Amino acid sequence: MTEQTFEPKIVAFVCNWCTYLGADLAGTNRLEYPANVRIIRLPCTGRIDFNLIIKAFETGADAVLVSGCHPGDCHYTAGNFHARRRWILFRSLLDTLGVDLDRIHFTWISAAEGRKFQQVITEITEATRAKGPYTDYRKIAEASAS
Amino acid sequence: MSEIITAQALRALVGEWLAKGRPVAGPSRVKPGLVAYAAIAKSDDLILDGFVHPSNSIKEFFFPRCERLYGYRIEGRKIELTDPPAPDTEQIILGARPCDAAALPILDRLFNWDSRDDFYNRRRAATTVVTLACATHDQACFCTSVGLAPDATEGADAILVPAGERRYEVRALTDKGRALFAGRTESATDAGRACDGPPVRFDAGRVREFLSANFESPVWAELTMRCLGCGSCAYVCPTCHCFDIEDEGARAESATTSAGVRVKNWDSCQFRMFTQHASGHNPRANQAQRQRQRLMHKFRVYPERFGAILCTGCGNCTRACPVSLGVAGVLEGLK
Amino acid sequence: MIDQLRQTCRRLLDEKRVDVVIGYGEGPVGGAAIPVFIRQAADADRLIWNNRCLANLTTYLKRPEVRALGRAAIVVKGCDARALVVLEKESQLAREQLYVIGMACDGMGDPTAAKCAACDAHVPAGCDEAIGQAAESAPDARYAELAAFMKRPPAERMAFWQNELSRCVKCYACRQVCPLCYCERCIVDKNRPTVIDTASTLKGNFAWAITRAFHLAGRCVGCDECTRACPAGIDLRLLNLSLARAAEESFDYRAGVDPAAEPIIGAYARQDEENFIR
Repeated sequence: MTEQTFEPKIVAFVCNWCTYLGADLAGTNRLEYPANVRIIRLPCTGRIDFNLIIKAFETGADAVLVSGCHPGDCHYTAGNFHARRRWILFRSLLDTLGVDLDRIHFTWISAAEGRKFQQVITEITEATRAKGPYTDYRKIAEASAS
Repeated sequence: MSEIITAQALRALVGEWLAKGRPVAGPSRVKPGLVAYAAIAKSDDLILDGFVHPSNSIKEFFFPRCERLYGYRIEGRKIELTDPPAPDTEQIILGARPCDAAALPILDRLFNWDSRDDFYNRRRAATTVVTLACATHDQACFCTSVGLAPDATEGADAILVPAGERRYEVRALTDKGRALFAGRTESATDAGRACDGPPVRFDAGRVREFLSANFESPVWAELTMRCLGCGSCAYVCPTCHCFDIEDEGARAESATTSAGVRVKNWDSCQFRMFTQHASGHNPRANQAQRQRQRLMHKFRVYPERFGAILCTGCGNCTRACPVSLGVAGVLEGLK
Repeated sequence: MIDQLRQTCRRLLDEKRVDVVIGYGEGPVGGAAIPVFIRQAADADRLIWNNRCLANLTTYLKRPEVRALGRAAIVVKGCDARALVVLEKESQLAREQLYVIGMACDGMGDPTAAKCAACDAHVPAGCDEAIGQAAESAPDARYAELAAFMKRPPAERMAFWQNELSRCVKCYACRQVCPLCYCERCIVDKNRPTVIDTASTLKGNFAWAITRAFHLAGRCVGCDECTRACPAGIDLRLLNLSLARAAEESFDYRAGVDPAAEPIIGAYARQDEENFIR
């Protein structure tokens, strides 16, 4: 695989009620978006444990997207508020560790925003393609006992 | 007559070993203020004075803190096992403390007891251990209380004994040791001299009697109340050898295929989970019981079973302990 | 100060107001003072107070063996006392059952510990009894060390942590020593599923360090016991500082300072910042 054909692996943790349906809407509207994204559906962004993000990098993700309902629209009322607070803190920790923050993206995408989903995935894929594979974390992941 | 090598010649020799691709490990300054046994990349990284005892022990070169036992791949009902890569064909440890080397013959008995642990034995056979007799000791040292000394030779292939400024007497003890220094020393009339050992702090025989007679005693809780149950003491100890086996890294490659490894990790009897049963029962549910077991194992059970005290008096447990507990402190309190 | 402390200890035990006084006693020569558990008034003279009283004794309030001793009095420094505030906020201790003896402190350790240079709690707050007086706090910039570290480029920071965390042996001294790490079943001890590899590989070590630091976000009071306890000399302080700074900058919150303040994790505000969210 040459540099030109590097296909980044994007892992997207999305909430079931907004972003997942938004992705679904993109599909029914035949809005093409890159197949590089692996979508993982969760009930709510509030369920997202930061260890999931770490695991995504450990298993070879080149970028991670976390996306849910807009603040005020959470299906469970406040799940995304809790998530947002955690994300603010978690980003500082990752920054201190020297993790590339440009590879972790957060968005609010509602069930009606199929086009936004298409745009976000496309942009993230191209941006990550330009950056190349995420080798720093791969080194950590490969230094596992396996 | 003695064989002498200067510090300069010693470093040059280490440089030669490294240049030939022979792995060397020894005390080195892994970060400011911290000396630990580690693999040496260049001869100058080796630290030979200015410290009492590295923060760890050399056991990790024989019994790594995590060791891959085998890899497995499960495809449907077919299981494929892969052996781990073979360890290095040789390694040289230079500058180990005598109390660290003395742990090796003690551990040999366990790792060849009811089954042979070839992971350990292969590394033992491949390693040449050169110790450096102590020029000083600190308050934590107690090798003399367990029958050792600053220039003990148990477990070493050769021992370097300080003989004045930047000179060491080389006493080769085995063929491996002789081979390492052959032709690299000069004869002299003076001999090296280690420091005097630390004062004896307890009588190991009396300790064993006490342990045999006082399984149930309030003294255990009193002496160990401050123990926090971390694994520091076990992990920096040259003779502690308990381990945990885990399967790790199961990667689902498809709906029917997964792969992972079985690893052997260091464990400590001070963890609450160490004796946690699947039923929920824990025979050592409080820290006093766990500390008692540590002392029993080292000073009664292992001697009874293997004829050696499972302790070399290096003092690392006391140095590493956040509350300065350690084995010697408890034993002194048993009087 | 020490006379007053010993007198207080005798009085509390004689009057049976407490069953045990948790304080500092003489450790090995030249080493840190050790935690002692005084249960008889006659033993009060074992208590000491000097610049080697580094341990954070509040961690013993989570230990079942210590709880079994009964009602306790505890000797705390300014940094330690903050842990009591957080523990009470998290319903881990009944404050009225505890008799808190606060000791004024001008810094611990020789050389003085890094945390002491930035200390603004020379006299502990919220104590039942305060002993001694200390110089007015004039701390250095609290996050100066962190700021200096963050000037290094990300790749260098990553290389630094890969080097630091390669030495981790998973002894969990950091967890055991911490007063706020009181979970009966720690996430690293769970194996159905295994969230954090227990092996001391770089992957397992990173996962552990990240998890522990984050589980203490907004809760760590900066006593630095984890850093002192680590047998591998890992600079855990830097990780904790980064989350403490984020808590202060984003939420104007410092753990253990204001007993009335709402803890940051578990709460939220509609106007939490969004500038990184698309």
